[in-house]
Amino acid sequence: MARPPLPPHLIKHLGLKVGLLVGATAFIAVIFLIYTLFARGLFEPTRSITLIADDVGNVAIGMPLNFSGFPIGEVKHITLTDQGQGRVEIEVPTKHLHWLRSTSVFTLQKSLVGGAKIRVYSTDLKAPPLAPNATPELYTGDISEEIPVLVARAKALLDNLERMTHEGSSLDQSLDHGRTVLGRMAGDYGVLEGMLGSADKAKKVVDAIDRSNKLLASLNGLSLKMDQRVFGQNGVMDQTDQAMQQVNAALQQTRASLKKADAILANAKEASGDLVRLRAEIDDSVNKVNGLIDELNRKWPFAREVEMKLP
Amino acid sequence: MADDAERQAWLAAKPDAVLISAELPLRANLSVLENIALVPQYRSNASARTANERAWALLERLDHESCAHLRDPDLSFEQRFVAKLLRAVIAKPSIIVIERPGLLLPDTPYPRFLAETLAKLDKEINTLWIVDYTWHALLYPPT
Amino acid sequence: MHYDRHMSWLTDILSQSGDALIARFATWGRTLRFGMVTLAGIFSPALYNSATRTVVQKQIYFTAWQILFGFGLFAALFSLILVRIASTAAQKYGLGDFALELILRVLVIELLPLMTALFVALRSGAAINAEVALMNITNEIKALEGVGIDALRLEFLPRVIGGVVSVLALTALASLCALLIAYLDLYGLQAYSLADFSRVVGQVFTPLLLFGLWLKCMLFGLAVTVIPIAAGLDSPHKLFFAPIAVLSGMVRLFFVLMLIEVGSLTITYL
Repeated sequence: MARPPLPPHLIKHLGLKVGLLVGATAFIAVIFLIYTLFARGLFEPTRSITLIADDVGNVAIGMPLNFSGFPIGEVKHITLTDQGQGRVEIEVPTKHLHWLRSTSVFTLQKSLVGGAKIRVYSTDLKAPPLAPNATPELYTGDISEEIPVLVARAKALLDNLERMTHEGSSLDQSLDHGRTVLGRMAGDYGVLEGMLGSADKAKKVVDAIDRSNKLLASLNGLSLKMDQRVFGQNGVMDQTDQAMQQVNAALQQTRASLKKADAILANAKEASGDLVRLRAEIDDSVNKVNGLIDELNRKWPFAREVEMKLP
Repeated sequence: MADDAERQAWLAAKPDAVLISAELPLRANLSVLENIALVPQYRSNASARTANERAWALLERLDHESCAHLRDPDLSFEQRFVAKLLRAVIAKPSIIVIERPGLLLPDTPYPRFLAETLAKLDKEINTLWIVDYTWHALLYPPT
Repeated sequence: MHYDRHMSWLTDILSQSGDALIARFATWGRTLRFGMVTLAGIFSPALYNSATRTVVQKQIYFTAWQILFGFGLFAALFSLILVRIASTAAQKYGLGDFALELILRVLVIELLPLMTALFVALRSGAAINAEVALMNITNEIKALEGVGIDALRLEFLPRVIGGVVSVLALTALASLCALLIAYLDLYGLQAYSLADFSRVVGQVFTPLLLFGLWLKCMLFGLAVTVIPIAAGLDSPHKLFFAPIAVLSGMVRLFFVLMLIEVGSLTITYL
């Protein structure tokens, strides 16, 4: 034989297949490594911002910083400040930095299940951007700490509710009454019947209202007549005017008597015997005035408890 | 050799000799050609092509190309012996020892077969010893 | 004399169990030593020649290429089931945000590498164990030495290398499948959630963890080849010892795989 034939390989393209497999594996490994580095933001320019918090107990390295539910940063370091506060350093890619404003509020929220979340709220996106050396505060709101209070309140509320709703309770009775009232309201006299309890009573009310209406009509007539009586010619007011003139005259007389009294008092020592007569004279005048006032009262129906007292 | 103990003592004294023995099989998962080519491939990092060509050439010289792609269980005693012999020959050792050829070639008139085969490989073999029991001495031509 | 006769049964038991214990430790010791020799051998340039290269290639072909399709399918199915379980459970407990992280940590980092190692151990580990045991029993190793070939360098080290590469390749493939399935299951067939996905992946797979993952897979690969080879070499030159060599090797292999897994978990989470 001129040239020995090579043996047919048991496995076709052994080298090629193995090379392909090993190459693919190496490719996957390298690409995945690069991918994870990219995913970790290694090739992305970032800026570190520092937050100060009272308690960083639930902050973990790698925790995302959420803005509107979208992760825009990641916790890189957690340290303690000289003042004993927690320092949280967050790496934010520069492309997300514009979401952070000087007015932004950072919160750490702990939920009942799952990890805590750091959120940032930037209500005013036109505010000046966050200064590079700013250390905003990280507000911690612990929902889990409020839970016992919340539970206690809820329990009290539920107790009340139960007490209000158990059988024979006031609410129950009220509801019963309400049901009765509503039933009556559906009757002939509607809401009135519901309010008064029965159709008869409602009828009485309606009757009473009718009567009142009639009464009011007659009162109207009455007041017209009274106007005439009181303010017309020779009416009450006219007579009152005359009476007042008489009172004035009586008072003139009284004043004259008092002047006499003054004169008598000037020489009282010598003429004390006259005093009793004078007193009787004054009493008489006052009694006259009183009588006049009584008469006036009779004629003037609106005055009450008028008395003229002698000093 | 008078007995087994003497044979083993003699072999132990020749550590550099390449032994061809019934107790030392071919590599079971390789064909005859691969078994022979393995030695230059491993020892002198010959390429698979070169090693296979050399092995094929040796098989051709002994007119045993037909068994090149067979594996150990499918070989006749002669083929197996040839494979073992060539696996030893291809490395060109200083001494080759064929141990108890009667065990290797039980159904062949082996002294004549050995003489013919070895004559074909005259240039490849430096020194060759045949170790056999004394009671087989009659089978060999006087030297 | 009297005392000796009474106590002889105890000394017998103690010496017997002691011998057994020593034998067991000796086996582990030989396995460990073989592992060390292997590691040293892998990095020696003298190992590599056209013959050993072929053995490496064949080992990779039989261990990884042959089962590529079947294993890929199996891994995909396994991943799909686990991804569904994880995402459903996470969403049920209101932890939907954590479903992906859970899947990555449990499936990609822990279960798939272990499953790949077990798969390879079951298939190729057992085969290697049986073959080496038979090579040892039928004197093939000695025969190779006779023609100046070191069986360790020709057969065993290339198999170790092939095994390690195979485990790495299969793990990479299965993990890739799992990542794809996880994405499709959680986000559907659209690319808009890639940023979200990438963020979690980036957060979970730190470079150190990736390195650890590869190291673990390599250890798995070493275990599934070194231990069967050591067990095969350990068997006495009697054919009836072949099954015993295989079974003891496989048990040891299983034990070591679990040990590696537990060790890696301990390092990761403690």
